[in-house]
Amino acid sequence: MIYSWKKIVKTGLPLLTLAVFVEIFAGSILQGKIDTLVGLTIFLISIPVINSVGGNIGSVLGSRIASGLHVGYIDASLKDKKMHENLITSIFIGISTYILLSIVIYYIGTFGNIEMSIGFIEFVGIFVSTGFFLICIVAFSSIIAAFISFKKGLDPDDMVAPVVTTVGDVFGIVILFFMISVFGVGI
Amino acid sequence: MFVKNLVKQSLPLLILCGLGAIIAGSTLGLMNASDPNENLFLRIPGLIIVIPAVIAMRGNISTAFGSRLGSAYHLGIIDADNLLNEELKQNIMGSLFLSFFMSFLIGVLAYFISLFLGVSPNPIMIISIVLIAGVLSGLILSFMTIGIIYLVFKRGYDPDNITGPALATFGDIITILCIFASAVFVGGFF
Repeated sequence: MIYSWKKIVKTGLPLLTLAVFVEIFAGSILQGKIDTLVGLTIFLISIPVINSVGGNIGSVLGSRIASGLHVGYIDASLKDKKMHENLITSIFIGISTYILLSIVIYYIGTFGNIEMSIGFIEFVGIFVSTGFFLICIVAFSSIIAAFISFKKGLDPDDMVAPVVTTVGDVFGIVILFFMISVFGVGI
Repeated sequence: MFVKNLVKQSLPLLILCGLGAIIAGSTLGLMNASDPNENLFLRIPGLIIVIPAVIAMRGNISTAFGSRLGSAYHLGIIDADNLLNEELKQNIMGSLFLSFFMSFLIGVLAYFISLFLGVSPNPIMIISIVLIAGVLSGLILSFMTIGIIYLVFKRGYDPDNITGPALATFGDIITILCIFASAVFVGGFF
């Protein structure tokens, strides 16, 4: 027997508890902005999408950098060229995905009879700019998490994904509401 | 070449996961009905607080479960003909216990945070909603992971490449559907 449920619970509890505390904070921002969300359902639909794409980009970037560190073609330095190449490609892929998905969501909103007091350009603008800033933060934390865990002798593969998804969820929500107020939409 | 590979291999999967997330988001949209009497977020104050936490918990527990099964496959502990053994049972039990503890913690935290934010949910109601949603989605996803792993084994693919994105995409949808169902069910008693 390699696995025992007690060991699985014991290993999982600390990181999960930390993640839950941070995510509850993200949830309380949603509760505070409930009037905006009830009035503009399209942003409620967008939240899982913004967060999931951000989390995925960060995890892919993190595990690519982790592999590079393991094999040795990436150095744990902020000046590494291969790392920059990965970073810029991730931002490019991310923005293309956000543009495409924002168009899909807007059309689902239009045809799904969802109350929309927001124009197409405004919505895509808010969605994509939120996405851009989120990718920057997520990519940065992913690289830092990979470097620190590698330098401390921990496996970056275990550390990056939970750190990046948690950071991404909170910042995704914070940046979204910030961009909504920058564009002057909602209540 | 390097950059081209990254774009070619991850862009389609990223878009697919994004489309899955749109289904998850639309389920949240359904819970946010325009009639205030049917709007779950207005009827159950504090419900929206638990949503990011439950989704994140589910994601963390089930991707860890998936990658343990992947490693177990590489170690030769499980394979398509020897799937339902004691090792797998311990893994499922571990995931379910974690889901139970974490759901309880989320419910309690959400209750206290709600009081702080000036909304006062019924503590029993919010904790029951999270517990039912957390354990139910844990059960469904455990069986789904076993199904995915079985198919992956049969085809001879590496489970490590498939289970992560598959669980991330289906996991969010199933979790939000479970919260929806649980909120409607528990809401019926209050």
